[in-house]
Amino acid sequence: MVAVTGRDPPSSASSECSENSEDFGGGTIDVQLEFETKVETPTSPSASRNQNKTHRRERTFSASSNKGDPPVIRTRQRTIYTAGRPPWYDKHGQTIEPFVIGICGGSASGKTTVAKKIIEALNVPWVTLLSMDSFYKVLNEDQHEQAEKNKYNFDHPDAFDFDLLIDTLKKLKEGKRVEVPVYNFVTHAREKRFKFMYGANVIIFEGILCFAHKDLLDMMDMKAFIDTDSDIRLARRLKRDISERGRDLIGCLSQYERFVKPSYDLHIAPTMRHADLVVPRGGENTVAIDLIVHHVHAQLQARGLKLRSALAEIHNDQPMPTSLHILPETSQVRGIHTFIRNRDTDRDSFIFYSKRLMRLLIEESLSLLPFKQIIVETQQNLVYEGMKSGAGKICGVSILRAGETMEQALCDVLKNVRLGKILIQTNTMTGEPELYYLRLPKDIQDYRIFLMDATVATGAASMMAIRVLLDHDVPEDNITLCSLLMASSGVQSIAYAFPKVQIVTTAVDPEINDKFYIKPGIGNFGDRYFGTEAISYS
Amino acid sequence: MPVAEVKPDVVPQEEHSPLKEPKRDVPISNNVKLIPITNQTRELQTIIREKNTSRGDFVFYADRLIRMVVEEGLNHFPYTPQTVITPIGATYEGLRFVKGGCGVSIVRSGEAMEKGLRDCCRSIRIGKILIQSNEDTHEAKVVYAKFPEDVASRRVLLMYPIMSTGNTIIKATRVLRDHGVKAENIILLNLFCTPKAVKCVTDAFPQLTILTTEVHPVAPNHFGQKYFGTD
Repeated sequence: MVAVTGRDPPSSASSECSENSEDFGGGTIDVQLEFETKVETPTSPSASRNQNKTHRRERTFSASSNKGDPPVIRTRQRTIYTAGRPPWYDKHGQTIEPFVIGICGGSASGKTTVAKKIIEALNVPWVTLLSMDSFYKVLNEDQHEQAEKNKYNFDHPDAFDFDLLIDTLKKLKEGKRVEVPVYNFVTHAREKRFKFMYGANVIIFEGILCFAHKDLLDMMDMKAFIDTDSDIRLARRLKRDISERGRDLIGCLSQYERFVKPSYDLHIAPTMRHADLVVPRGGENTVAIDLIVHHVHAQLQARGLKLRSALAEIHNDQPMPTSLHILPETSQVRGIHTFIRNRDTDRDSFIFYSKRLMRLLIEESLSLLPFKQIIVETQQNLVYEGMKSGAGKICGVSILRAGETMEQALCDVLKNVRLGKILIQTNTMTGEPELYYLRLPKDIQDYRIFLMDATVATGAASMMAIRVLLDHDVPEDNITLCSLLMASSGVQSIAYAFPKVQIVTTAVDPEINDKFYIKPGIGNFGDRYFGTEAISYS
Repeated sequence: MPVAEVKPDVVPQEEHSPLKEPKRDVPISNNVKLIPITNQTRELQTIIREKNTSRGDFVFYADRLIRMVVEEGLNHFPYTPQTVITPIGATYEGLRFVKGGCGVSIVRSGEAMEKGLRDCCRSIRIGKILIQSNEDTHEAKVVYAKFPEDVASRRVLLMYPIMSTGNTIIKATRVLRDHGVKAENIILLNLFCTPKAVKCVTDAFPQLTILTTEVHPVAPNHFGQKYFGTD
């Protein structure tokens, strides 16, 4: 195992953060998306300002910054991403359903150890580890008192919030973002912050009663029961409770006799019959773990994740989709294109003319939104039948870096427009897009979205951005993708995957070259605009 | 105001419902053209016309509409084919703008359109004409005119946002003609005009091109005052 070994907690596709800020950057696998902040509850402006100061994002454990490392590590025909989030959907934009492994077993049977060993052996970049412990019900005062006296049954199905659990696992399986409660075992309440998790390639779900509900069983692709000898479990439990949690022997034993053992016999052991395989001895059973890993690999292989090259190949020679709108090609538009496509154009002119084109593009995109008729009184006190935008709130979302160049054009025509950002970088070793960072308004689903990227070649980055928006519950037909230049295959891929997304561009080029650049194209727009290109293109 | 009696009558009904497709290049006559009319441009017109629009909004939205008219007007400038090499080494069959255009604004409201032109053409030459009407006789009189020296050989974007009677434009065109500019080389960039003004100008100069966003029996008044904040 490459980057996970020896680190704790294991690689997991989760994050805790504030204000919908999701930072996908970082060092090695084990730290991607693992950081913690308090969720800000918007109160008065001054209060939230204070919160901003005190509740900055903090990492729960240090990220070893391996900036010099390559962004992927290849082992045994597999690719491990060490930084961004690779595509979690197929070439049709549909989320690839994650493989859900359920791990059940008695208390202290070694479920977490098995889960970690599976994660290590799996070697896949995105694994979400969901624990049932997060879904304990919030205790009222009486129950809290009982718990203090070891008289509350934490091992009974009633102790868990199954509705929330089922809902969470379902959303994870759909690839959506979920807020997982953080349960405090001292106060027996949920903390104010959440843990954000995303559906990953593999979801491991563990808990003492995770086979106890039919809906949960239905969502699992593989069910393993950890069958560890009850003596060993009791021994482990005593050790953990006494030495790690500072409890006394008598209390622990009475709780065990009173609740843990009866619950195991009554509610947990019988669910063993649902298991696909039973793992005796827990984490020590390397043969069983190997079997599980083999099976998961075979399943994942069948799903496949070669997105960009798959996108470049499909949909040739088809008529352009109806969701595409191209800015009418006037002499000015073509003249501007000539300037910005010419490799000899200096940056000054490149920026000037691309800005002009962006303005035309944004105005054109706005004109396609819904409008409604209104009647106004003019300065001369006459009645005038006019128009008013019926589009509601608009939020621009730029795909960093090149998409950011279009923000100004949007701000120039829309007062008070909100701007979100998504950083997607192409992994130079795989050619695949990866999600690194995103920051969107909290209520993003209530906005009409102008998704902006300067150029669209295969459409891989745009599709990832659209997928992110959909995962944040933005309706598909509320998204307009604005781009200066697109390749026809990119248009086809996006329109095929997301037919309701309105696509607006100023020109569509016929081809993509082997480096996934649009041909004849415009070169690397971001590099030319920001002046970060290599010395010469030739 | 006598115009207060005029009722918008001849406008067809569908004008008032949202447009499915933008109307592009709508020639009213040979030389009178509308910029592409979309629901968006109609919203801008509505805001500019509305009584209660704040000055900040008025300037903001007028600037947006002006920019559209300017962009459309520039399409009347000459160009030649040009092939360029793109950064990846492919060829692109494009076109090159040919020098030989200039702007002329009519003081004061026409000057509101200079920024829009300057934003599109960084170094374009801009001339100015100041025309004032005699309070008593309503006769327009040229007070000041300054053009690039070679204005006669250029295409002229004449800038004047509101045209109610057409008198000012006729006067300005005469001045330009006196400086050797042919009417066929003049493109009037305009936001709002009346059918009366259109007829008046086209009768006097059939070769002149009028580019506007709306021909309506009532044009907004006091554009310059509201734009420059001197009302």
